Amino acid sequence: METIFQLIAILALVVGTLFSVVGVVGFIRLPDVYTRLHATGKVGVFGVVLLLVAAVVGQPLGWGRGLVLISFLMITGPATAHAIGSAAHRIGLPRQGADRDDLLCASKSKS
Amino acid sequence: MYNLLLLVPLLLVYLELSSNFELSNLIVGLLIVTGILLLVRPRRRLMAWRRLPSAFIALMKYVVILAYDLIISGIQVARIVLDPALPIKQGIVAIPSESESELGTALSAHAITLTPGELVIEMDEQGVMYTNCLDATKSEKYVAEAQKMRMDLLEKIFS
Amino acid sequence: MVTLEIIFIYILYISLLIHIVLMSVAFYRVWRGENVIDRLLGLDLLSTLTLAVLVLLSLISQQVIYVDVSLGLAALGFVGMVALAKYVADEQMF
Repeated sequence: METIFQLIAILALVVGTLFSVVGVVGFIRLPDVYTRLHATGKVGVFGVVLLLVAAVVGQPLGWGRGLVLISFLMITGPATAHAIGSAAHRIGLPRQGADRDDLLCASKSKS
Repeated sequence: MYNLLLLVPLLLVYLELSSNFELSNLIVGLLIVTGILLLVRPRRRLMAWRRLPSAFIALMKYVVILAYDLIISGIQVARIVLDPALPIKQGIVAIPSESESELGTALSAHAITLTPGELVIEMDEQGVMYTNCLDATKSEKYVAEAQKMRMDLLEKIFS
Repeated sequence: MVTLEIIFIYILYISLLIHIVLMSVAFYRVWRGENVIDRLLGLDLLSTLTLAVLVLLSLISQQVIYVDVSLGLAALGFVGMVALAKYVADEQMF
């Protein structure tokens, strides 16, 4: 049983670190703000949560606050991404190579 | 009376976070929780006790679907980022939320942000959500289907 | 199993090193950003990576107090990010 918990902790650590690296690489490589938001949101939701799963499994004394922190991150991660995306749209940042844009059509037909 | 019902889980969360079960800490926790309830003053809602088991089953199903969507979205974003050609065709798609209550609209926006490759950017008065998609060409049909299933589950939870 | 524990500790230190490198990269993007929202995004990433480093420290030193600190940091980071985004969008806080 101890061995299985240790294996789960090691797996969670490796996958979480991998997702952190993917998020930062996406933050550098992707062309504009709206697509970067997808990548950085994944760091918060995957990287930290998987590290916390490793902490909950590998260290039996702190599972209560680990679960509280996991649920907190799950709720607030999309809210932060939504706030930043809405701010980027309000100050009118351009997006690169948009195939379709329903919001532009809606605002044109309204005005 | 309803506030007294809310006081118990808040006190349990406080005791878990402080991990100190002495009498003095209990009294301090009671004072803090009472202060929070006096500040927030949650509105009274009718609890339908007979619907509770089906609502619980719907909640479990919703959490499982959410976790599956989350894993799929992580894999999709990782594949797009690590691809050397960066195959993104982004665009903004309008999705109607089809929910009357404000809580339902907020929860469906949260769920859409967690699903593969979408992110709610703007929302107008009628509840139409404008989402930024990483792959705007094929996501429309999939999104409508998933949204309908999710709204059914949410109605079952919060009816 | 003794070898599994040793592998776990090695992976912990390697992951800590990787996260510190990622933090320096994010800090460079905040310093030389393209526009306001880009720097804001970099700050959000920086606070999230700090959270990850705190969780890793609690795993290394076997103390729960770091998870408490990261709980407070997560709450402060969320409120700060929402307030800054609202300030950038509307030119006012409230």
